[in-house]
Amino acid sequence: MTSLDWLVLFATLTVIVGYGLYRSRGSNTVDRFLLAGKTMPWYAMALSIMATQASAVTFISTTGQAYVDGMRFVQFYFGLPIAMIILCATVVPVFHRAKVFTAYEYLEQRFDSKTRALASIIFLCQRGLSAGLTLYAPAIVLSVILGWPERATIFLMGVTVITYTTLGGVKAVTWSDVQQMIIIFAGLVIALVTLIHLMPSTISLPDALYLAGAAGRLNAVTTEFNWNDQFTLWSGLIGGTFLFLSYFGCDQSQVQRYLTGKSIAQSRLSLIFNAVAKIPMQFFILFIGAMVFVFYLFVTPPVLFEEAELNRIQSSPAFRPLAERYSQAFEQRREAALGLVEAHHAHRAAAEQEQVASYRAAQRNMDLAHQQAEGLVASTGGEQRFSDTNYIFLTFVTKYLPAGLVGLIIAVIFAATMSASAGEINSLATVSMIDLYRRYFHRQGSDHHYLMASRWATIFWGAYAIAFAGLGRKLGSLIVAVNVVGSLFYGSLLGVFVLAFFFRRVRGTAAFAGMLAGEAAIFWAFFFTHISFLWYNVIGCVVVIATALAVTHLRAETVA
Amino acid sequence: MPDVREVRDEPPPFLGTWQRVYIAVLVYLSVIIAACYGFTRALQ
Repeated sequence: MTSLDWLVLFATLTVIVGYGLYRSRGSNTVDRFLLAGKTMPWYAMALSIMATQASAVTFISTTGQAYVDGMRFVQFYFGLPIAMIILCATVVPVFHRAKVFTAYEYLEQRFDSKTRALASIIFLCQRGLSAGLTLYAPAIVLSVILGWPERATIFLMGVTVITYTTLGGVKAVTWSDVQQMIIIFAGLVIALVTLIHLMPSTISLPDALYLAGAAGRLNAVTTEFNWNDQFTLWSGLIGGTFLFLSYFGCDQSQVQRYLTGKSIAQSRLSLIFNAVAKIPMQFFILFIGAMVFVFYLFVTPPVLFEEAELNRIQSSPAFRPLAERYSQAFEQRREAALGLVEAHHAHRAAAEQEQVASYRAAQRNMDLAHQQAEGLVASTGGEQRFSDTNYIFLTFVTKYLPAGLVGLIIAVIFAATMSASAGEINSLATVSMIDLYRRYFHRQGSDHHYLMASRWATIFWGAYAIAFAGLGRKLGSLIVAVNVVGSLFYGSLLGVFVLAFFFRRVRGTAAFAGMLAGEAAIFWAFFFTHISFLWYNVIGCVVVIATALAVTHLRAETVA
Repeated sequence: MPDVREVRDEPPPFLGTWQRVYIAVLVYLSVIIAACYGFTRALQ
C-alpha cells in the first residue's frame, strides 16, 4: 500500500465513525440507545439492514466464487423478496405494536418466560459464535495479502466498533452503516469500471461477456432440482425463503434494525428496499468476480492466489511439472480466447465452435492444475481442504488497481466488517440486557442503570468477539464448521415464531417442547445426512410446528 | 409523557395499499428471475 492508500483508508474510516457518532448525539436513555427512540427513516434502516447482512467475506468470497464457479450463488437470494413480503405483512406490525426491544421479548407475551429464555440463549450461542468470525475472517485475508499482523487488524477493527457502538448505541450503528454502504457501493462501482478499463484494448465489454459466458462464469440460473446442490433455482426459492424468514424475522441483529423505525410504514419500506435491491447488488458483486476471471484470461494468474502457501509448495518436487502444465494451459486458453473473439466477430460458426472447444479444454486443464496445487498444500502439511477462493479478488486489487483505489477497496473490507460486527455486538448486548439481565437478575432498576448495563454489555460482547477472533488460528479448519453451526439454530427459532403468529391454540409448554424437538431434528440432519444446510431451516421449522401441535393435542385430550 | 415506543401505521407512499406493493415486488422478482435465466441462456 502506498501513502495515498493509507490516507484514503484512514480518512474513509474516520469520516464513517465520526459521522455515526455525530448523528447519535443524545442516546442517553435505554429507548434511544437500543431503539433510537423510534426515529429512524426507512432509507437509514434499509442500508443498515443491508450493511449488517453483508460482511467483508461477502465481498471477498462472493467475487472469488464467481471467478471459480460462476454466478450461481445469486439464486441463494431469490427467496429474499418473498421472505420480506411475509415479514412486512406479519412480523413488522406485530413487533411494533407489542412495543418490544427484542424479538424474544414478544415470545414471553405470547407464550411464557421459558420459551423466551430458550430463544434468547439460542440466539446468544449462535450470534456469539459468528461475532468473532466476522472479525477474524477478513483479518486473516488482509494479513496474507498485505502482511499485516492478524491480531493488530482484529484489534483495530474491534476497538473501533466497540467505541462507536458503546457511545452511540443503535443510532451510531445505523448511521455508520449508511456511510459504510455508500463507501461499499462506490468502491465496487469504481473497481468494476477500472477492471473493464484494464482489459486489453482489443476486448470490448460484449467480448468480455461472451468469453465469461463461454467459460460458464455467467450461469446465473440452474433449473435442475438437487437436494445436495446449495445453489439452484429451487433451493434459492424454497430454502432461501425459509432462511431469510429466519434471519430477518427471528435474528435480533436484523430485527433491531427495523424496530428503530418511526412508523410501521417506514420499517416496511426498509424491508421492501432490500427485497428490491439485494438481488441486483449480489448480481453486481458476482459480475465483478466474472470480470476478474476475464481479466486473468490475458494476464497470467498465479497457480495459487494465497502467496504464503504458494511460496511454501514451490519447494516441493511435484510443483515444477504442475506449474509448467498450468502455464501451458494458460497460453492455450489465451490463444483460444483471442481466436474465439475473432471468430465470433467474423460470424464464422465452424471456427467459433472449434475455438470454444479448445478454450474449454484449456480451462479444464488449468482447473485441474489448480486443484492439484490446492491438494499439494494439504499433502505438504498445510490446511486440509485448502481453498484460495477468498484471496482472488484482493490479489487482483493489490496487484493491478492504481494507488488510492487500493486504499478505498481495503476501506470497503473494513467498512463491511465493522458494519456487520457492530450490528451483531449491538444486538447481543440488547438481548443480554433486556431478555436476561433485566428479566432475571435486576427487575427494578432505573433507566440510567439499564443504559449503563447496555453499554457494559456492548463492551463485553465486543471484547468477547475480539478474544474469540484472536483464537482464530487455533480453531483452524473448525472455522468452516462454526459457519455451518450458525445455520443449525435458525430453523427452530423460525418455527417458534410461526407458532406464535399463526397457531393461536399453541401455548408455552408445547412451543418449548417444539423448539427442543426442532433442534434435535436439525442436529440429526447435520450429523447423519448429506442434506444441504439451506434445508435445515425447513426441517427445523416443520418439526417445531408438528411437535407443538402434537403436544397441544395431547394436553387437550389429557385435560378433557 | 407519551411512550416513545408508540408507533403509527400509514399507507405506502406509492401504489395506495401495501397489498399492491407486495404484488409489485412479486412481479419484480419474476422479472428478475426471468432476466437472470435469459442472461444465462443467452451467454452460455
